[in-house]
Amino acid sequence: MDLDTDVPMEDVEEHQLRQSGQPAGADASAASRPFSGKKQDLSLTSVNQLDQWIDKLSKCEPLSEADVKRLCDMAIDVLQFEENVQPVQVPVTICGDVHGQFHDLIELFKIGGPCPDTNYLFMGDYVDRGYYSVETVSYLVCMKVRYPNRITILRGNHESRQITQVYGFYDECLRKYGSATVWKLFTDLFDYFPITALVDNKVFCLHGGLSPMIETIDQVRELNRIQEVPHEGPMCDLLWSDPDDRGGWGISPRGAGFTFGQDISEQFNHTNDLSLIARAHQLVMEGFSWSHQESVVTIFSAPNYCYRCGNQAAIMEVDEQHNRQFLQYDPSVRPGEPTVTRKTPDYFL
Amino acid sequence: MAEEKPKKPVGNEFTKPTPRTIPGEGAGPGIHGVHVNAAREMVSLHTRGRLPPGHGAQPAASTSQSPTNFASAFPAPSKQPQRQKRDHEVSIPAKSHSGDCHNPQCEHCGQVIIPAPSASFPIQDKPSITINDWSIYTIKKPILNSAELDYLSENKFDFPLPEMIFGNNVVKLVNDKTGETIEFDAVSALDSLDPDCKLKVSYHQEWLSSRRSKMSSSSEKSEKALKENSNKDIAKLTENLDTMKPYDWTYSTNYKGVTKNMTLKPTKEQIPIKKLLNPDPILFFDESILFEDELGDNGISMLSTKIRVMPTCLLLLCRFFLRIDDVIFRIRDTRVYIDLESNLVLREYKEQEYPYDDLLKKVAHKAYTTMDPKKLLRDTNWVSQNIPVISTQVESNQEQNQAS
Repeated sequence: MDLDTDVPMEDVEEHQLRQSGQPAGADASAASRPFSGKKQDLSLTSVNQLDQWIDKLSKCEPLSEADVKRLCDMAIDVLQFEENVQPVQVPVTICGDVHGQFHDLIELFKIGGPCPDTNYLFMGDYVDRGYYSVETVSYLVCMKVRYPNRITILRGNHESRQITQVYGFYDECLRKYGSATVWKLFTDLFDYFPITALVDNKVFCLHGGLSPMIETIDQVRELNRIQEVPHEGPMCDLLWSDPDDRGGWGISPRGAGFTFGQDISEQFNHTNDLSLIARAHQLVMEGFSWSHQESVVTIFSAPNYCYRCGNQAAIMEVDEQHNRQFLQYDPSVRPGEPTVTRKTPDYFL
Repeated sequence: MAEEKPKKPVGNEFTKPTPRTIPGEGAGPGIHGVHVNAAREMVSLHTRGRLPPGHGAQPAASTSQSPTNFASAFPAPSKQPQRQKRDHEVSIPAKSHSGDCHNPQCEHCGQVIIPAPSASFPIQDKPSITINDWSIYTIKKPILNSAELDYLSENKFDFPLPEMIFGNNVVKLVNDKTGETIEFDAVSALDSLDPDCKLKVSYHQEWLSSRRSKMSSSSEKSEKALKENSNKDIAKLTENLDTMKPYDWTYSTNYKGVTKNMTLKPTKEQIPIKKLLNPDPILFFDESILFEDELGDNGISMLSTKIRVMPTCLLLLCRFFLRIDDVIFRIRDTRVYIDLESNLVLREYKEQEYPYDDLLKKVAHKAYTTMDPKKLLRDTNWVSQNIPVISTQVESNQEQNQAS
């Protein structure tokens, strides 16, 4: 791995600080002056660069291919040091699928408060389906590199080479850049995304759900995550599984993928001394949905999913006392989106 | 602890900014505020542009006779259409439309405006139209909410439902004189599923064998700790897994709609394609999805409807489309054709199926798709034109010799 010396290793340093029991306040001061010590000049350049990119992206303008390359290199240097089970402090706002609905992501930051004033944890599925996957994932990765301790971005099952070729991100990259280079850069980066997070040792966050091969959180720590999402095995399950009303482990009738019942969730929470499993991955009309007598919550943050479902989105705030509050929101209203304009009549047969 | 009251954000921080400023708004590119009227105008210009010369400046069929007072609020176009075979009696909304009508007629092109100019999130639309004896209604609403889903799974269906069910969406065609009715909705479509499905996703074997192997899979080089407990658990587990109650996870419905007061009998007659190719003005056009499932990102299963109503006839297409990546394509089309002058109803049901790889080969030959060969595979129209038909049947509400 060739390290880019442009990038401050603050994430590693701060992470060690946190491990040694520093209060969350230390993070805040570190984040407000992220360039300290010998690498000051270099990091100042990076910070300015990142702020420029964030400005550009927040207008929903994609970065140039060269900038995406630089961004991804910087992001790898941050993400490769994150853990499979990335520790996250409270307070934090936990979010589900975004799926390329960039304007709704901006709405999310309005509802939840701007980053870095609010800490965010995203549970994957940034790309595909929506029309602005490129802008959405670029924006979130920029924020991650800029405020590494303020925002955590996990991997969803759509952060994969195979899925993005079918569900839109690949096409969008071709359309917006004329080649698959940017798609390649991002999908290579996705391999470094952490796959789960642990909020204050109590709330286990991941995209899909549990795996029959994982009984303890420590077993997740031992996985080798830096790879394409496999078709089988524990890493696949963590990104794909769904909770179900039936008890025990179930296998989907489509021939692959697990469902897990309330007994499984309760056992897992008990074994690992957790209060809750927070996951995304499934569309719910209200934006969030409890299952298994509140041992599992599903959070979905793409309102009017695919521009046609009419569903609400939600995010979950967890405060210092571990109180939870759900904020629901509707799509940001914009003209030109497919649901608002009339369908163009056609002489179909 | 655990306060889960669903709640709209309140307080200064959360009150939505009145001019909803999206970054990028105002200056340069970016999207401006809500301009439904402008959007509508644009679309109507676009639509008129599609009409062949001669129709271009012509407004739609005679709408000036609209009997409802509603129509007077939306004055009919001043120019009378020149080609008047017969005075079609048009009413917008439908004569028996109940409640307010939010889908008026466009004064430029004569079409029913869908979605309503007042459409907001979540979209709820209830347009309708009456032409001669026939009334056409469509209802569009968001996907079912948790309460509605719970009700369905407790009372009606014992299998996991598709992840997006537009259970309140309806397309309904009624003959006001005879009471003949044909109706399409998601819940009755899901009623017609087979109890089982033999299809599996492409990596089914790979997945299952990894679950069954005593030695666990090779992808776990550094995961020795997992092995001990996984070996015994997985072996035990997989025995139970196969006993799960099967259901058609592809949701391959053979739905033909629900009829009332209508007797349809097999006929040799065909839907008159030629007549449907006439560029008559479209007075009412709507499409909606009844249900959709992403098959766990293994493809798509979708039931959708499309309807266009012209002055003399209408065509409704209810299409089931299934794509299982690397496995199969399947299309099941129900078309309803109604001659609004003779009241002839024809219903055609057609099944198509083709292996995924075979269709992919067809695409691969096309040079222009090299950038993204799978693009066409997502286009249901293209797929339907390029895969073989397995069976077709046509039914009619009239004896063959009477049909016009």
